[in-house]
Amino acid sequence: MADLAIQRQDAMNELQPPLVLGEHTTYHDISKQVSEIVEAPVYKTPLKWYIAVAITGGITLMMVAMFTYLVATGIGVWGNNRPVGWAWDITNFVFWIGIGHAGTLISAILFLFRQRWRTAINRSAEAMTIFAVMCAGLFPLFHTGRPWRAYWLFPIPNTDLNMWQNFRSPLIWDVFAVSTYFTVSALFWFVGLVPDLATLRDRAWAAGHKAKQYIFGSLSLGWRGSARHWQHYEMAYLILAGLSTPLVLSVHTIVSFDFATSVLPGWHTTIFPPYFVAGAIFSGFACVLTLLVIARWVCNLENIITIKHLENMNKIILATGTIVGYAYATEFFIAWYSGNLYERFAFVNRAFGPYWWAYWTMITCNVISPQFFWVKRFRTSVPLMFVLSLVVNVGMWFERFVIIVTSLHRDFLPSSWGYFQPTWVDICTFIGTIGFFLFLFLLFARFLPMIAMAEVKHVLHTQHDMEAHGGRAVNP
Amino acid sequence: MAHHTAEIVADNYTLEPARWAKGRNVLAFLALVSWVGLAAGFAMDREQFFRSYLIGFLYPLTIVLGATFFVMVQYLSGSVWSMTVRRIMENVMSSMPAAALLFLPIAFGIHDIFPWSHEGHVKDPSKASYLSPQFFTIRAIVYLVLWNMFALMIYRASTKQDTTRSIDQTRTALKWSAPGVFFLFITASLAAFDWIMSLDPHWYSTMFGVYILAGGALAFMALLTLLAIGFRRAGILKNSITMEHYHDLGKWMFALTAFYTYIAFCQYMLIWYANIPEEVVFYKHRVEGSWLWVSIFMIFARFFIPFFTLLARSAKRNLTILTVVAIWILFVQFVDLFWLVKPTWAHHGVSIHWMDVASLVATTSVFGLVFWSRFKTHAMVPVGDLRFEQGLKFENA
Repeated sequence: MADLAIQRQDAMNELQPPLVLGEHTTYHDISKQVSEIVEAPVYKTPLKWYIAVAITGGITLMMVAMFTYLVATGIGVWGNNRPVGWAWDITNFVFWIGIGHAGTLISAILFLFRQRWRTAINRSAEAMTIFAVMCAGLFPLFHTGRPWRAYWLFPIPNTDLNMWQNFRSPLIWDVFAVSTYFTVSALFWFVGLVPDLATLRDRAWAAGHKAKQYIFGSLSLGWRGSARHWQHYEMAYLILAGLSTPLVLSVHTIVSFDFATSVLPGWHTTIFPPYFVAGAIFSGFACVLTLLVIARWVCNLENIITIKHLENMNKIILATGTIVGYAYATEFFIAWYSGNLYERFAFVNRAFGPYWWAYWTMITCNVISPQFFWVKRFRTSVPLMFVLSLVVNVGMWFERFVIIVTSLHRDFLPSSWGYFQPTWVDICTFIGTIGFFLFLFLLFARFLPMIAMAEVKHVLHTQHDMEAHGGRAVNP
Repeated sequence: MAHHTAEIVADNYTLEPARWAKGRNVLAFLALVSWVGLAAGFAMDREQFFRSYLIGFLYPLTIVLGATFFVMVQYLSGSVWSMTVRRIMENVMSSMPAAALLFLPIAFGIHDIFPWSHEGHVKDPSKASYLSPQFFTIRAIVYLVLWNMFALMIYRASTKQDTTRSIDQTRTALKWSAPGVFFLFITASLAAFDWIMSLDPHWYSTMFGVYILAGGALAFMALLTLLAIGFRRAGILKNSITMEHYHDLGKWMFALTAFYTYIAFCQYMLIWYANIPEEVVFYKHRVEGSWLWVSIFMIFARFFIPFFTLLARSAKRNLTILTVVAIWILFVQFVDLFWLVKPTWAHHGVSIHWMDVASLVATTSVFGLVFWSRFKTHAMVPVGDLRFEQGLKFENA
């Protein structure tokens, strides 16, 4: 009988592995472990953090220099020209917007699906969303050439300008979609932070840090953790999750409309909206994985961000990567099936034309590389997943490049065919945004709790509760 | 574990033979009447028979494909809430063999149904060889074999677990589910291209496979809700499928309504916006004559009505509302397939033939008989799954 009970316990552990490791982890342990990263005094900040901030900050300055140069000189400093009028600018825009999607998926959709493992990773993923959307926004902003007039994009009633937005253009839909997405994501992130900021405030008070107590106290909006506070908080969280869920789909859907509403072969295809959304989640998860593998190692968070969390993320990468592969295959098949010569040419040219190298990079990185994750041993190997997460990000950048540039460089008139080459400004601007993104993330990791403490404690509570009754945490 | 089981009033997990026989008799009667009718219809108007039959065949098939997809996803996501309805899902899924049998009339009716089967209709030589009766049939056999293989393997593992109560069968089901979702997506998309999209061989849409799967998944969720409520009315599984489970079924109907609408809207929007003649012709046929009213009806029937009805939490916890919405969704799924298929021949307006309805009853009742036969041999819930008790006690946060 005892054997049977042990067997059953092992089986349950396999079906529902614990989400917080450690025999006797208490709530206080979680608070301590997570808060101490934020509370560490200046002289105790690891040197590697300063080095990383210096490097990424330097790259950010390069980005600023590039944009200054662009504004001072003109858009011609980018490689965009006929016939490729859209190139790295929009590629980078779509790339960064896509990165952001994982954060919203984790915080909103996985919340609605009651996937409890999201609690360890949602905070940093949401932060990443916000930073990625900031990077994305820079490209269309500066592509206007006069960023100080960007407010013309909004339908502000005016008589002096005689500016009337073209509501039939997907580009104006982008303005609304992205700004809404940014606003809701930022709100969602902040609402989630409130209980943790209150924890930091209380700890600052206990340690006698007046300044910290004041800062965290203001940010936590008078949170006292009363039952009423929690009730409102949970309702707000649910509503924001409900609002964010359609937003995740809508943002990348509208980004895909930028291309798919045209009549250009390779751009106009009906599967674009869900395919872009899946691709966005794919790249976003890869990016979360890249950052978290580093963060959990540097900050010793292996007991909270467990192998199980990473494995689940790899499963999502496998699923979304395969959906993206399905979309590539469907596009190719239908281009052939359509019998339309231009459609067929666009796809054959993609795979075997001058940009074949980009196309096959994309296929290798996005479709083939995630297939490793069918094997559990690979799914749980930290070095391998780290490498693959980088590979996927490279692949997803190339996907946008392939879609955008290969369709434009050879259109209906062979006399106007061309070959796009980026300028050094293109390259440095893009690298600059990567630096900017990492720079912001480093600041976040140092000054705000990287793990949603309150939510992890809730998971811990359920886990203890179920352990006491011989079962495992309910993970529906 | 003793004190846990004590809290729950256990249901009888097997269907009483008398009740089972009653259900079988109803289904068998429906099958008999409708097939006799169809046989007469076939003798009277062969062409009409095949064309009506296609819609009838697709209706239960899309639902069973939706069931297969959902069962696989339940395993992959380690879902606990669905424990108490999972066997009903699996029984729907395991009616797949009926699809193989019921495909036969389609195979014999290719020339009456598909315009491309006529010499010279498709000019492009490579496409003509793809859309040839031989290759079409071979592909169909591949789809049906794969679907049956995955459905029956998972079903076998699940029912075996009823007696073994071991984790091994969960592992087996998982091993089939992961590649299963992959193959299901690809084959179901290709089947949607073959069996519906190719009715107009010059029209194409990359979204079409997803569109058909989304509609099937939604209709399946409605059927599952209806079955679960129906069992409750009959006093079956009353303590197992609780309000919490109904609430989740309602959420799924709501979410899939939104997802289906998203897919349908994007497909329409992009084709309308680009306005390329060979693409837009599909929708042009569907706004001509009285089809326009069906198209407008679909916007409300597919989206506005179910979406706003199910929006409130209280609605998802009201069995009457759930019943009405589920019936509505199942009805509209038929309208949808009718709207996809029928304008191929009825260009200028809606026309309903009695065989459209007769074949719907004929095919659905055969699927139903296979589905129902599963209740005779196995428990109505996956009693052997280790998480079953958790599923019973599940509550919405």
